[in-house]
Amino acid sequence: MTIFTCSPDFESMMTCIYDAWSSRLGHRNIRLMIEPVGNYELFCEYRHVEKDSDKAASVVRSIRRKISVPAYQMIYRCAMSFQSERLDIIYRFLLYGFSYGAKAMNMLQEPAVIAAFELSRKVSNEAHAFIEFLRFSNVENEILVSHIEPKCNVLTLIAPHFADRLPSENWMIIDDTRSIAVVHPADEEYYLTPMTSAELEQIHQSENTPDPYVDLWIVFFHSIAIEARKNPRCQRTMLPLWYRKNMTEYSRGK
Amino acid sequence: MEIVSRTLSLQEKLNILADAAKYDAACTSSGVDRRGKKGSLGNSCAAGICHSFAADGRCISLLKILLSNDCVYDCKYCLNRASNDRIRATFTPEEICQLVVEFYRRNYIEGLFLSSGVYKSPNITMEMIFQTISLLRTQHRFNGYIHVKAIPGASPELIEKVGYLADRMSINLELPTKQGLQTLAPHKTHRSILGPMRQIQNGISEYRLTQGKEALMERSQGNRYLKDTIFDTRSSLEISGADESLLAASGTDDAASLSADRTLSRQAGFSAPAGRSVSRHERHQPFVPAGQSTQIIIGATKETDFQLLSTSQLLYQQYDLKRVFYSAYVPLNEDPSLPNPDTAPPLLREHRLYQADWLLRYYGFHVKDLLDEQHPSFNVLLDPKCDWALRHLELFPVEVNSASYADLLKVPGIGTKSAMRIVNSRNSSRLSFEHLKRIGVVIKRAKYFITCSGKMMYSMKIEENFITRQLTGEDSQKNWEIEHPVTYHQMSLFDDFHFDRQPDFGDIQMSLTGQM
Repeated sequence: MTIFTCSPDFESMMTCIYDAWSSRLGHRNIRLMIEPVGNYELFCEYRHVEKDSDKAASVVRSIRRKISVPAYQMIYRCAMSFQSERLDIIYRFLLYGFSYGAKAMNMLQEPAVIAAFELSRKVSNEAHAFIEFLRFSNVENEILVSHIEPKCNVLTLIAPHFADRLPSENWMIIDDTRSIAVVHPADEEYYLTPMTSAELEQIHQSENTPDPYVDLWIVFFHSIAIEARKNPRCQRTMLPLWYRKNMTEYSRGK
Repeated sequence: MEIVSRTLSLQEKLNILADAAKYDAACTSSGVDRRGKKGSLGNSCAAGICHSFAADGRCISLLKILLSNDCVYDCKYCLNRASNDRIRATFTPEEICQLVVEFYRRNYIEGLFLSSGVYKSPNITMEMIFQTISLLRTQHRFNGYIHVKAIPGASPELIEKVGYLADRMSINLELPTKQGLQTLAPHKTHRSILGPMRQIQNGISEYRLTQGKEALMERSQGNRYLKDTIFDTRSSLEISGADESLLAASGTDDAASLSADRTLSRQAGFSAPAGRSVSRHERHQPFVPAGQSTQIIIGATKETDFQLLSTSQLLYQQYDLKRVFYSAYVPLNEDPSLPNPDTAPPLLREHRLYQADWLLRYYGFHVKDLLDEQHPSFNVLLDPKCDWALRHLELFPVEVNSASYADLLKVPGIGTKSAMRIVNSRNSSRLSFEHLKRIGVVIKRAKYFITCSGKMMYSMKIEENFITRQLTGEDSQKNWEIEHPVTYHQMSLFDDFHFDRQPDFGDIQMSLTGQM
């Protein structure tokens, strides 16, 4: 068994797929893993793959041409998952994709296809939840700052939604677990950037400005509920406690 | 009465006017896709986005407020009726705009839901609503979702002006029968509700035609594969449960409907071309692009589920409504004509009506399939689709690998998404129960009604009593929780439950397990 490993960014993953595919070792004799590899297995050869933008681009191009654009989007979502087997799941799906073309997306009976389908569904559900539940706070100079701690790397999946919605606002969404952020200057394109701890600290300082609309929102949140229909179980189903840690209306208590 | 001499702060107003608006069920932000544009704030997603969930488990999507709770009407069921002693508050248009824009920027809301008590007169109120959303759209360049209530009795010109700025409009029918409306909402008439509803419908179809679309609103994509849905048979109506006055206003056949409609419009001055309040240019603006909706109160009067659902079907067919909302009656006032103030809101009944409403809009069912005069109420123990399936066991089992999309949809436990996935994936190879589970079929319900490659999951008889026992056993706990969300309180025999059916073995089962 040969195991191809790479670092967890999208470009490396695509390069890894390229190298694994062209190694001609036989699909059954290889596995793909994301670094860091936790437990090394006996009788396995580990090959680290360094990222190469040309190889990555050619993989993306083939997926879009030979399978379909929705398939590429699905793979991208899978790659954003936190699960360690994601790269191998993508690879196994591509085996079907390249032999059956666009209709592979519908072949949910195949274990390789349904695995990718389920993984992608999980990621898009989480991304959607953050579109709904993330909160901006208004800091100095009318800049909107949001902190999220997602399990999957959803930043690039949710940024287009907010870029369309708030085109003329200065806003940024910070992924606290990965220390990366999407930054959107008003009327310009947004970009993804890593955050240093000094930058995070600076932002943290500016966030202590009092905001009257926070109080107004909490008042609204409590007065809109109907006492006679109180149903905390339903509330938890719709909005799990896990999502509430950075939400304005829950973080302040009652 | 407390005399409020000082002016209320914005926070106090928000508290009062959100509290007063919360009994409206609709809080959806769906129905229209609109991209954002530079210099404006906001966009809109057709699927709708919820931003939070309140303590009652209902979604918060829009800033749902009243413009004013200072109402001259005296509807018996309403918290803001004129005869109630309450603090009255009225927002200024600027205050509402500030709240919407600042909440929207922080991703708290999808937009505004603006309703109002009737402040001084319907026209004055509607004019204030127009001022507010006009300010919001033009001055504040707000491009998000706006849902506006049309005030019954407001002039058609004002309603038209508002329609060009709003995404969705709604007029609450509240009580589907004439008698109900007369006793509980003496200032409203069906005419004052249905007139504007027709006017908005006409406005929507007129706009859609200028865009080269069909006059009637789009419905679920899946409906293309269904024959004979409620939306296909809009002209031939065979509804007996709906209120006669509704039928009189819309007619039982096309010709009558048109003539009745015209007289109605003429009397009220609706859709009269000469009376246009809006310039030609503005008429090319989208008019209520997300469609209109309405709300019906459940449990304040004696209407049966059959009457309520027939009314909904009629509204979908005759008025092309996008949604009908059902609101379990929450007792707020004491009045001899209202239910006892300790009555618990009929949440399970409301839930059943929503389930049935989905069956009408997405699954190709008609009211007559689900209920009739002999069985005017939904089964409290089973959801409407299971109940229907058990009465039509001759149609089952359905072979998953060959059944049509329409037939798959009729199986309890298979929804629109999983039915579509089944149809798409079985082309390549046969499906098994294990596949169905991962595709998203609810096997615990579906297993009684389907075969995979000719075999059922377990060897079972397709026999009504057996399946009913199995399904009710699995569902009874859940139904109990819907009806009693928080506490397990001691029930009184007389006013807690209104089971319209004779107790059957399911009830006995519930009493054995200590739930009743």
